[in-house]
Amino acid sequence: MSDVNNGISRRSVLKGAAIGGAGLVAGGSLLAGCGKKQVTGDVHFTIRGNLSDAGAKIAIAANDAYTAKTGNKVISQAVNSDDFQNNFVQILQGTPDDAFGWMAGWRTNARADAGLLADVSEQVKALGSSLSAAAIQGATNPSDGKQYIIPTTYYPWGLHYRKSTMQELGLNPESIATWDDLIKLCEATQKKGLVGYALGDKGGWEAMGTFDILNMRLNGYQFHIDLLNGKEQWTDAKVVEVFNHMGELIPFMNKNVLDISWDGMRDLLLQKKCGAMMMGSWFANDFLAKSQADYDDLWIVPFPEINPEHGIDSIDAPLDGISVAANGKNVEGGADLAGFLGSKEGIDAAVAAGDTSIYISSDFDTSTYDAFNKQKLAVLGAAKNIGFFLDRDTRGDFAGPVVGPAIQSFLKNPKDLTKILESTQAQWDALPAL
Amino acid sequence: MKTAAVNKKVRSRRSLSRNDRFTLSAFVGIPTLLQVVFLWGPTLITVVLSFTYWNGINVGDIKWAGFANYKNIFFGSPVFYDALKNNVVWLLWFTFIATPLGILLAYQFDRKIKGHQIYETIFYIPVVLSLAIIGIIWNFMLQPGGFVQGIMGRDIGNAISIWGNYDINSYVIMALASWRHIGYIMLLYLAGLKAFDSSLREASAIDGATEWQTFRKIIFPTMRPVNVIILVITIIDSLRAFDLVYIIYGTSTAWPLLNILAFQNFAGQGISMKGAAYSVIALVLCVVPILVYLRNVFKEDLQ
Repeated sequence: MSDVNNGISRRSVLKGAAIGGAGLVAGGSLLAGCGKKQVTGDVHFTIRGNLSDAGAKIAIAANDAYTAKTGNKVISQAVNSDDFQNNFVQILQGTPDDAFGWMAGWRTNARADAGLLADVSEQVKALGSSLSAAAIQGATNPSDGKQYIIPTTYYPWGLHYRKSTMQELGLNPESIATWDDLIKLCEATQKKGLVGYALGDKGGWEAMGTFDILNMRLNGYQFHIDLLNGKEQWTDAKVVEVFNHMGELIPFMNKNVLDISWDGMRDLLLQKKCGAMMMGSWFANDFLAKSQADYDDLWIVPFPEINPEHGIDSIDAPLDGISVAANGKNVEGGADLAGFLGSKEGIDAAVAAGDTSIYISSDFDTSTYDAFNKQKLAVLGAAKNIGFFLDRDTRGDFAGPVVGPAIQSFLKNPKDLTKILESTQAQWDALPAL
Repeated sequence: MKTAAVNKKVRSRRSLSRNDRFTLSAFVGIPTLLQVVFLWGPTLITVVLSFTYWNGINVGDIKWAGFANYKNIFFGSPVFYDALKNNVVWLLWFTFIATPLGILLAYQFDRKIKGHQIYETIFYIPVVLSLAIIGIIWNFMLQPGGFVQGIMGRDIGNAISIWGNYDINSYVIMALASWRHIGYIMLLYLAGLKAFDSSLREASAIDGATEWQTFRKIIFPTMRPVNVIILVITIIDSLRAFDLVYIIYGTSTAWPLLNILAFQNFAGQGISMKGAAYSVIALVLCVVPILVYLRNVFKEDLQ
């Protein structure tokens, strides 16, 4: 609970805001080109992560830009990301900060339905054509057609590897097009003493990325989404096929899959101990934090085609953004800040602070992207269906407590598959109606 | 005799002045009230909620579920039996290995063997650490990339699998928990032994009893009050186990315990009253054997 503006008493913050507000009234006529009424007051913002993280510095820089523009003070606090996610409902029911970085999908929509998140449709509308129809669609709560998150960034899940490692091995992952190619790549990597397919699933969610992509490649996007929403059965032969493919990858995995989490996977790649790794690109910030050379060495390609019927037409690309708490002290201010962070000015401030994310807003000049970001865009562009990742595409009381342990059990004992899938389906059937 | 008792009764009643009575009721009443409000209240609410469907947000959404959550746990959730197994293993390990070891150590140190103070200190030190801290320390040592792995020259890629190796991880966790439990039991038993009348031991030695006979027939039965406490502590500590495993595995149920399942379902990202049902199951398992045991003990004492 560290206040970023430490050293400033609450009173002086309020005073500062009042002065800022007064200054704004004076300069208001100059700024008020869009004719919107001006929002005032302090805004409280939660940063998910540690203050020392690159991400926190980026968030603070963007918030400072908002203060500079509007005179409204932003008071940021950093909260451990896992704690924030686990206690999300309790936090929102208490006295939450006005705005915070959040994730589109079930995690937003279910909380919006419960009245815990504020409607930001107006701000989304104000961003206008800078947001693609698909992005707005992705941020829309299907139950009422409104938006409760302002989408800002996204990232693809794909096969990551180090260019230098592959060069030393004499391999070229960019040329892999089919499942057999992938297996051959893994075999060749393993033969050189490296981990063929790096995976860590101690956290219980990391392997969901592999499950998602295998299901989308084999059975298509629609089947995947239907399965996660109870319209298809986990005992279906198609799902068995997905796990059989995952089973084919097990021999190429590190022998301590259940000992390491996502950061272990990252370190395997960072330390050149593995070939390919299925992961979301967000971890690239850590490569950049290590060194520019490490970052430049990082590359991503789409997961290869398995079933020609579906090609590589789908991908997990979670949409991140800013949500506003319905119980915050300054809901209007929170929404205003969220709108700013999704706009060109907010994005420019974040990029200036060293953000490597790719932005949804079309106002952002993509020609300034570095090579890795351009490649991320290319990977995203190859797909026409976007999944949000398993734990955002299905119910929270199913993803973590049921699917997570099911995949772990499979990685532990692939022979138990039938039993595991039967139990997964039984547990879905036992869920109460929402 | 009779008059003395009557006198005592009168005196004790008289000695409670108005002030005393006020102080007493404050000292007993306030904690009792707090206990009822903050412990019994939530416990009862949890029991009631375990028979409902609810996502923990709007009270109006609570729906009666009957035994559905329990049915789901007993018949639909294989992870429950894994958790139960782990809790039972923990209990058996503590009862038959860790606790007897603690008693054995206490018995040896009580005989003032050379350097016993040093040994006592060594075994006592882990007791000052909470299980959460023990989890952090040993996770740091044993995880891939950790200290022990580093000493053995293992990097992340070829680190020895410990937390994810189901042939050994239970033993490692038991060993870590025992590291603290043994010292704890040793301390309790040592305190009891200090109060032990050494003439009893001498008498048995004169009668020609062996060391083992002395312990089994004289010391152990005399130490009954301490034994009861130790047994209760052992049962409760085994069934309420949570922090050590949570530090190592988080909410992923890679090594499940009843309390981890309760936490995952109750406080995690998808709140469901299945978590309340897990809590109630843990509560019943924890409280019932202890109540039964204590009732027997007190009954015998009365006789």
